[in-house]
Amino acid sequence: MSTTVEQKTRPVADGRHPAVQFIKDNATLIALLVLCVGLSFADSSFFTARNLSNLARQVTIIGIISIGMTMVILIAGVDLSVGSVAGLAAIVVTMLMQYGLGTWLAVPITLVLVGGIVGLWNGWWIAHYKIPSFIITLGMLTIARGLALTLSGGSSIPVANDSFANLGGEYIGPTTSAVILVLLLGLYFYGLYRSIQQTRKFGAEVRMAEIIPSLIVVLAGIALGFYVFAGYQGIPIPVAIFGVIAFGGMYALEQTRFGRRIYALGGNEEAARLSGIDIFTTKLIVFVTVSVLAALSGILLASRLNGASPNLGTMFELDAIASVVIGGTSLAGGSGTIGGTIIGTLIIGVLNNGMSLLGVSTFYQLIIKGFIIILAVWFDVLQKRR
Amino acid sequence: MAGEVVLQMENISKEFPGVKALDRVNFEARAGEVLALMGENGAGKSTLMKVLSGVWPYPSYTGELRVRGELKQFANTREAEHAGIGIIYQELNLIPELDVAENIFLDRQFTTALGRIDWNQMYSETAKLLDSLGIREFKPTDKVKSLTVGKQQMVEIAKALSMKASILVLDEPTSALSDKEVQDLFRIIRKLKADNVCMCYISHKMEEIEQIADRIVVLRDGRTIGDVTPIKEITLDQIIARMVGRDLQDLFPERGGYHRGEKILEVKDMSVDHPTLPGEKRVKPSSFSVYRGEILGIAGLMGAGRTELVEALFGAYPDRAHGSIFLDGKPVRIRSPRDAIDHGIALLTEDRKALGLFLDQSVAFNTTITSLKTISDSFLGTISRTLEARVVGEYVRKLGVKTTNIETIIKTLSGGNQQKVIIGKWLNTEPKVFILDEPTRGIDIGAKVEIYKLLHSLAEQGVAVIMISSELPEILGMSDRILVMCEGRIAGEFMRSAATKEKVMEYATGGIAA
Repeated sequence: MSTTVEQKTRPVADGRHPAVQFIKDNATLIALLVLCVGLSFADSSFFTARNLSNLARQVTIIGIISIGMTMVILIAGVDLSVGSVAGLAAIVVTMLMQYGLGTWLAVPITLVLVGGIVGLWNGWWIAHYKIPSFIITLGMLTIARGLALTLSGGSSIPVANDSFANLGGEYIGPTTSAVILVLLLGLYFYGLYRSIQQTRKFGAEVRMAEIIPSLIVVLAGIALGFYVFAGYQGIPIPVAIFGVIAFGGMYALEQTRFGRRIYALGGNEEAARLSGIDIFTTKLIVFVTVSVLAALSGILLASRLNGASPNLGTMFELDAIASVVIGGTSLAGGSGTIGGTIIGTLIIGVLNNGMSLLGVSTFYQLIIKGFIIILAVWFDVLQKRR
Repeated sequence: MAGEVVLQMENISKEFPGVKALDRVNFEARAGEVLALMGENGAGKSTLMKVLSGVWPYPSYTGELRVRGELKQFANTREAEHAGIGIIYQELNLIPELDVAENIFLDRQFTTALGRIDWNQMYSETAKLLDSLGIREFKPTDKVKSLTVGKQQMVEIAKALSMKASILVLDEPTSALSDKEVQDLFRIIRKLKADNVCMCYISHKMEEIEQIADRIVVLRDGRTIGDVTPIKEITLDQIIARMVGRDLQDLFPERGGYHRGEKILEVKDMSVDHPTLPGEKRVKPSSFSVYRGEILGIAGLMGAGRTELVEALFGAYPDRAHGSIFLDGKPVRIRSPRDAIDHGIALLTEDRKALGLFLDQSVAFNTTITSLKTISDSFLGTISRTLEARVVGEYVRKLGVKTTNIETIIKTLSGGNQQKVIIGKWLNTEPKVFILDEPTRGIDIGAKVEIYKLLHSLAEQGVAVIMISSELPEILGMSDRILVMCEGRIAGEFMRSAATKEKVMEYATGGIAA
């Protein structure tokens, strides 16, 4: 018997106009664009290479955590401890530096000591005892913050070390940056070509409605990259690190066994177990990943600030969760993408940056941000209801 | 009045974008009768019932719906309820933490003048209601979660009747019931019949239809096929012919030569503890063997421990299962489904949606999830899409899965096609022992026959097939050997030639002594 088209059960796009469908499918992206265009008109200093370069650097701090948070939320969990872990990592790395350790020793040690251990601890309780991640990480939120305060004695720890400061503050030179951007563009076109070929080979139709947005985003992104990075001081190191992590996250989720296990686990844990998936290990890896990324984020922040305060990273968990959710990942688990999360992170970042430029008081900023999060999720729910 | 036409459907049509779900459906049902509504999955039965119950409000369909001769155009489900239409869905809508009375009068509680719930009246009304239905199996104060599915269904029926329903729709009410519970349900249906309630009974099961229905109407591709026919004037073959649009000589294909190979799996003293009651056992120490090339049927009532036995064997309850397993004569340790898969054991679970499928994922995802290692490299675990497409494409072809392409989201497929994908996912692990727990539940006859043929060909290839089924004809028609379970024990064993419906039933109900 051959593969036949089953018209009966195939969901049709409700007879909606393709343009309407296109807007709905790419709503967050369009919201980001509208936000950027609006801000460019509202304040002339928004769309400058200098501001955007800084914005990119700021965004990466939450962005790095959001990549890990995406995985956690995909398995229908949540990690509330990321902000505290970032703060603890910042304290630990600065203290290690003060003890005279070099950057290249202090950073990996912190990643393992803080990120690795906290992640294993969280993951163990969640995966082995099957306690909701909300509770375990809520506990860790307090524990890690308390540890940061205890270790530092409650005061800030300064660092004076150029190589450490470079981590968060330096740039990859404009020329090298330009080369990287061109390479990325080449890589993207190669990937697109391969994926179109494969889609054809599988007998599936090549859906332009899916390709065109990604093409536009990439082309615009690269062009913007040239303007912001190659035209200014180059790619900030944290942005490059974020790029590598985001790419790694996308690759892991979309191209590997590990990714399949995450989607399976989040979609239907019992079915995943009965399909032979090692639930315990998968959960453990996910929680270690998010903690290590949170620690990295804390380290980059400490580097940028040339020191750490024990209160660093407070409320980061909320921004990270908001980014993931705005990016369309379902809190019920099983569906969502890193690409969406990056857009979500950018929306929050642009919003913060824009409101500061416009001189909106931080009090109002909080209120507005809260409404935006609710609106985004409401919109998502509306869409899914069909 | 008995025999009075209370429900008329005239030229009911409903379209979904691109699909005609209902196409000029015509039938009528009378007071005091059970009208069987039959049809394969996707034939339009559920859509029709949604029209009747107001889930699809009036202008969304065309045609006329009359209750006792009066034209009704329901705007919502509440209006349908007021017109006396009650529906018992396949998935029950009860709140497990509340008791029977609270569920029956949910949001319609009797209250005192001060607005306090009048518990006395609520419980006494419930007791009266249960009494009038002849239900003695549970009390108004029992918590719903402590009741079996069969009893929960009775609660639903009582609830519908408490709303003065005179037309009751039962959507596959027996799909999760044991034979005993089915008989209890039939007792209540007969009682309601005597009380002049009109019942539309949706089912796949021919035997039940013969037992309980007065007249039958068949739906195929959204159309009524033939007229409403009294059950006495139609044969089983004719019903099937109406349903599938062709004659099915034999539901169970001819089995080619059966050569029982060497013993492949031996289970010794497997027992499973009760999940919550210490000391109690769901499965009492049971031993059995399976041979290459054999189809071993496991019969028994719902709750007899069949599912628990095979799931224990599959490593699903590492903490609650005891006993030893031998594969090819060698003892093996199976502590997780992964271990079982690695040893060449596959288990198709009973509950397709909850335990078998990743509903929001593609056909390809669902097919390869058990055997990701075969389509990925061992270093990073990168999945080769090309390899995946080849593997999945092969199963889609071989099993005749009807899907647009392999990237189609699985929840958009019909039950039969979903089941074929799950079978594909297990075949992809190259099992030596393939356990199928109710493999044909809720799928249409065409797909059933295909699955039967597939099981035969697997057995011919030397796979040991273990099939659990609650449908006796299926057990008798498919198995080379039959185990009958009763109350957590293997109560009997028959070769195919020696097994009869009566014998199997006798052992399954524990009535051997009699």
